[in-house]
Amino acid sequence: MNTQWNRRDCLKLALSGAATSMVRPTLANAVSANAAPALQLGKAEHCIFFWLGGGMAQIDTFDPKRLGDARSKPSRSGSYYASIETAVPGVRVTEHLAQTAKVMDCVTAVRTVNHRVVDEHAFATNLVHTGRMISGSTVYPSIGSIVAHERGAVAPSVPAYMLIGIPNVSRGPGFLGAKSGFIYLTDTKSGPSGFTRPADVDSARSMDRLALLEPLQDRFPSQSIPADYRAAQVEALRLSGPQFMRHFDLEQETGTVRQRYGGEFGQRCLLARRLVQAGTRFIEVSHNLAFVNGTGWDTHNDGQLQQHILIQEVDTALSALIEDLKRLKILDKTLIVVATEFGRPAAFDSGGGRGHQGTAFSMVLAGGGLNHCGAYGVTDDECKEPLENPVSIPDFHATIFATLGIDPHHELLDGSRPVPITDGGTPIAKLLRGS
Amino acid sequence: MNSASKDDCTVIQTSTLLLLLILFANMFGAIAVSQEPRDAAGETVKRSQAVRVEICEQGLNDKDAWPDPLPIATESFEVHAFGLDQIPPKYVDDGIRGKRPSPSMVRFSAVVELPAGKHRFLIRARSASRLSLNGVLIGATPFPPKNGGDGSQADTERLVAIDLGPGYRFAPRGEYEKIAEFESDGGLCEVKFDVFAGGREGKNPRRVEVGETVVAIAKSGTEKWELLTPLPESIPYTDASWEGYRARAAKIVFDHSAAQRSALRDQGSAYWASRRQAANAWLASTPEVSVPPLPEGLLAENPIDHFIAAKFATVKSQNRHKATENVDFFRDVKPLLESRCGDCHRGMKAKGGLRLDSEEFARKGGDSGPAYEAGNAVESELLRRVRSTDSDEVMPPKGNRLTESEVSLLTRWIQEGASWPELPLVRDSFIGTIDDAGFIRRAMLDTVGVPPTEQELRNFMSDSASNKRATLIDRLLEDPRWADHWVPFWQDLLAENPNILNPTLNNTGPFRWWLYESLLDDLPMDRMVTQLVLQRGGEREGGPAGFSIASQNDVPFAAKGAIVSSAFLGVEMKCARCHDSPTGAFKQEQLFQLGAMLAVRPLNVPKTSSVDPEKLNAGGRTPLIEVTLLPGSTVEPKWPFPAFADSGLADALVLNTEDQREHLAALLTAPQNERFAQVIANRVWQRFMGRGIVEPLDDWEKGEPTHPELLQWLGRDLVRNGYQVKSLVRTIMNSAAYQRAVDPSLKLPDPLYSACEPRRLSAEQIVDSLFAVTGKPFVTEPMCLDLNGRRETDNAVDLGIPRRAWMLASLSNERDRPSLTLPRLQAVSDVMSALGWRGSRQDPSSSRDIAPNALQPAILASGVMSQWVTRLSEDHGLTEVALREQPVETLVEELFLRLLSRRPAEREKASFVSWLEVDYATRRVANPVLEYRPHVVPKLITWTNHLQPESDPAAQERIVAAQKGDPPTPRLEPKWRARCEDVVWALLNSPEMIYRP
Repeated sequence: MNTQWNRRDCLKLALSGAATSMVRPTLANAVSANAAPALQLGKAEHCIFFWLGGGMAQIDTFDPKRLGDARSKPSRSGSYYASIETAVPGVRVTEHLAQTAKVMDCVTAVRTVNHRVVDEHAFATNLVHTGRMISGSTVYPSIGSIVAHERGAVAPSVPAYMLIGIPNVSRGPGFLGAKSGFIYLTDTKSGPSGFTRPADVDSARSMDRLALLEPLQDRFPSQSIPADYRAAQVEALRLSGPQFMRHFDLEQETGTVRQRYGGEFGQRCLLARRLVQAGTRFIEVSHNLAFVNGTGWDTHNDGQLQQHILIQEVDTALSALIEDLKRLKILDKTLIVVATEFGRPAAFDSGGGRGHQGTAFSMVLAGGGLNHCGAYGVTDDECKEPLENPVSIPDFHATIFATLGIDPHHELLDGSRPVPITDGGTPIAKLLRGS
Repeated sequence: MNSASKDDCTVIQTSTLLLLLILFANMFGAIAVSQEPRDAAGETVKRSQAVRVEICEQGLNDKDAWPDPLPIATESFEVHAFGLDQIPPKYVDDGIRGKRPSPSMVRFSAVVELPAGKHRFLIRARSASRLSLNGVLIGATPFPPKNGGDGSQADTERLVAIDLGPGYRFAPRGEYEKIAEFESDGGLCEVKFDVFAGGREGKNPRRVEVGETVVAIAKSGTEKWELLTPLPESIPYTDASWEGYRARAAKIVFDHSAAQRSALRDQGSAYWASRRQAANAWLASTPEVSVPPLPEGLLAENPIDHFIAAKFATVKSQNRHKATENVDFFRDVKPLLESRCGDCHRGMKAKGGLRLDSEEFARKGGDSGPAYEAGNAVESELLRRVRSTDSDEVMPPKGNRLTESEVSLLTRWIQEGASWPELPLVRDSFIGTIDDAGFIRRAMLDTVGVPPTEQELRNFMSDSASNKRATLIDRLLEDPRWADHWVPFWQDLLAENPNILNPTLNNTGPFRWWLYESLLDDLPMDRMVTQLVLQRGGEREGGPAGFSIASQNDVPFAAKGAIVSSAFLGVEMKCARCHDSPTGAFKQEQLFQLGAMLAVRPLNVPKTSSVDPEKLNAGGRTPLIEVTLLPGSTVEPKWPFPAFADSGLADALVLNTEDQREHLAALLTAPQNERFAQVIANRVWQRFMGRGIVEPLDDWEKGEPTHPELLQWLGRDLVRNGYQVKSLVRTIMNSAAYQRAVDPSLKLPDPLYSACEPRRLSAEQIVDSLFAVTGKPFVTEPMCLDLNGRRETDNAVDLGIPRRAWMLASLSNERDRPSLTLPRLQAVSDVMSALGWRGSRQDPSSSRDIAPNALQPAILASGVMSQWVTRLSEDHGLTEVALREQPVETLVEELFLRLLSRRPAEREKASFVSWLEVDYATRRVANPVLEYRPHVVPKLITWTNHLQPESDPAAQERIVAAQKGDPPTPRLEPKWRARCEDVVWALLNSPEMIYRP
């Protein structure tokens, strides 16, 4: 199922349903209206997309193998930590994911994700966000932008796509245009960029300013382009007002809840949950707290030494989010994705850390009403190649789309040019079946 | 071989000797020298009038050793003191930026006068340097390590900056530093300061840059640091004084660079003169376009107006039959036909032989007969097909069916006579001329990208000369800011896409510098395009060679071919990248032929740039696309557009008949290729007039010219004027059509140009204007993540410190690391991105996404950059205006003039005056206390240390500081100042700030 990366976009238009059905009979059944429920589109409404920039080592997290030794000479490949049982019999994870292990019945670690782009973080980050290689003739949209474009916000009063992290082109809307872009905040203390009033502008001063602006706006007739802009100004004003901004106020949560989510990354996840409740469709949450261990998830050399702190942060936040969403009865309609640009090899580098590996690595799905099984796909003893059920990046994207009720064979339009929503991806049937 | 090893040996000895000398100097702290400086002939020398800067490129290696003997200088110029933070780019070929050998060496020398006493000298340099006084080495800095590392390297040596005392400058980019003492008896002293630039990172060259290279002196008994200079002036080495000095030096480097370019271009002048002669001969041998007579009652400034008035009169006469009340062809029917049918039923390759892009073809119909008969909806084939439930027949074949209301619309249109006028008549007559204030604002935004200053505005308004608009246009066309305004156009068109870190996202080199200098030097269009196609110079140094790169692209030159064909021929070949276009006439093979010419070698077609034939032929319906070029094929270079120009023309025009790039350049730019001049003219026309005579600009197969004769006339006019775009612009701007007032009700540009529409300014125009009108300095970080130049050039370019919006690029933090953030640039980038700018230009673009969305007004109202330009800080241009002794009415008037280029209307004036007059008399603070700026060592965050534990918190502090912005001035009472800021805010958020008058 490893996708041949190519640019067959226009072709996909020509192929139509018939051609795809030859390749993917199951899905064709699933999407044609009255077919048996072999596979059907999911009903999830929201997606919280964790981004573990740097490349999470699957062998030290969701796909543990025998213990290795980074310090012996020569070093012995294998996991850096011991593994533990989870709520799903037979599925083990690292000991630093102890809290997540308990809710593993709501989780599927997809262990056989693979691609061939490992030299450069930016390149792989772009691939995992857009599901495609760069082409030079099209700028592809990120998965967040596609979801925002396809489904809009759940509540019309909030943005469809929010990012808690640093803007970059890989997270951007590509050819879908600015309207499908994200609104971002870099951390939980700063409000959303552009919508957070300056500290010295309270709502009274804001009203004063608008009163001054009004005669300047009135110069243009109501049926004009500048009047359309004025309408956008009204919308912007509403978003910078308390109705929207209150969602960012974590003080409104109880101390118990806040503590349960843990540090800054956990607080970002809590904020993401609040945004889900407010009606945001897609929230990307970056775990870019690189300096807990020096390197973030890019655990070359010494970065390995404190990697367990990163893992524990994710463990706390992920398990808290799952429990909290469950408590609020919105876990089934909220898909959680843990994504990263690539994995890392079982062998250690000369500094006791790990290099990059794309041939097999883990990304994680949780909630979203999926038929979870703890883990999907099997890798070899070195975590290097998939042995069963390989999952390409387009397949992984297709699974996310299908979970969110978006037909993974749908076509987007780049101008007049049709671009399939994934590059030939097929959803993981087992997770969607019977969901 | 032998001689090489001998040289190496000498080098080692020399460097050992130097090392000893340095040790010696350090051990004793100072060296006393008393001898008078003499030149080579033994003559006593005189105090210099300047510091000579010599660049040496030859005879250097990367062995971390000083060359012996010293290499000969290849280039030199003079500055005022021992201080420079840039060396000029190297120019090669036809005056384009080239690549200097890395490492190169720079020698500063001068004879200075020193008072008697023991002085301290500070050396700052990015790499190895050595300072000698009267021939004796007194201080040096080392060669940097060869390994720039992965970002986690501790680099303590360079990160502990020397503190020269309050007010004095810290090394801004982690330069090496050294303080040495020297005792002088007084009198003249010959100073030589050698520095290395560039070097190697592993095997790869580093950027050939110098960083902030300085020799400063604290004279005996003082703590005052000043730049060492032979001149009598004192240049304190403080931040403020350095800024002034740096600007002076930058001007010298700028002028030196311009002279270098000019000298190189002179070598090509004979060739280009012959090209002009050939063009004139062609013009003489081909018929002129006749300019139509002016219809009665209409006015004209030049031939453009004749064409436009004639067309207006024609369409007006056609439009006597008004469209029915229910259906308007242009409003309702045409958009529907274009969006739902146009992809297939348009142009020469229309499906089923049916074209729905003109009335003539639509009535004639295709293989299934006429699409419709006017007045007879019942028997219309078009309606039958859109209503059909047979999946083999229904139209459109893909995507959603037409809605019921769309079908009903088409039915009514056909039933009511299928009216199809040539062009919509938006207005019955031409609107009047724009007023002077609006004209100067429009003209400046269109040429230099920013509105007039208050003084420019007042001068223009009070000028009573009848030709003052023409005079203004002439002046603006000479303004160097023209280049700033036009770079973005070319960046979009040619997909200039540099990346400041590890370029992998279809990145190019930073050929923005070539674009800028070509525009600055008024390079004729044929010469500029020739330089582009030849792709010479430095790839990462800003030469047109940067265009040739497409990182991680499977067939870079196919991508480049598509850019060239759309930019210069209006032929869109994106589809041909992988298959023949479903609608266009051009095949994949033609794109690859073009690509092969650009590559100067045959191109292979990889599987990744094709479509699997099995999949292509699968399925029921006939595929919309064809693949006639199989993967694995090899395509030879060949001019693929004989219809535009006969390939035989090239031989007479090229210097080297073997060079495929020369061939391509000649065939593109030969006057016989009328398409080229017309495409350029059409693009320039669109920039000023709001729409092209042909739309879309980059795909002429899809559109017919609205004014074909005018287009032809403009193309010939461009050739006649030596391919000078400015000549074309002068004609356009002087036309009555350009100078018409705005009809605010127009939502789109009128294709008959009866009035101007309100036109959204570009992201660059808006950002530059906000800084320009408020006088707030545009201050950001350098566009660079490798401040100390340790990385290899290919993975870390330095795009400089932006002074205009176009200088930004993608901030490239895919790593998502706080320590790699550039928060001030981010604040500007956020505004620009919301307004339709793309930091990452992976593909070319002829039009931007400027549809209004909530983020645009939000970021302009509350964004970080917006706070900078609104807050009356000490360095804000309006702070002095607010403090000035004048009636509040005058202040309001001045704010309107500065920010909106007009006087306030009565209602506006009343509102603003009543707001500002509160506490106006007491707005000034009697004894303001300026905020103390603590003198702390700034933390250097750069690639080499960005993963160190201190870098993240330091970056966070920087983010907070950027978001907070500069403190407000203490000279205005806070409450009144806030009121004044509210007024500034309102003016800056007025639609007039983002729409062109």
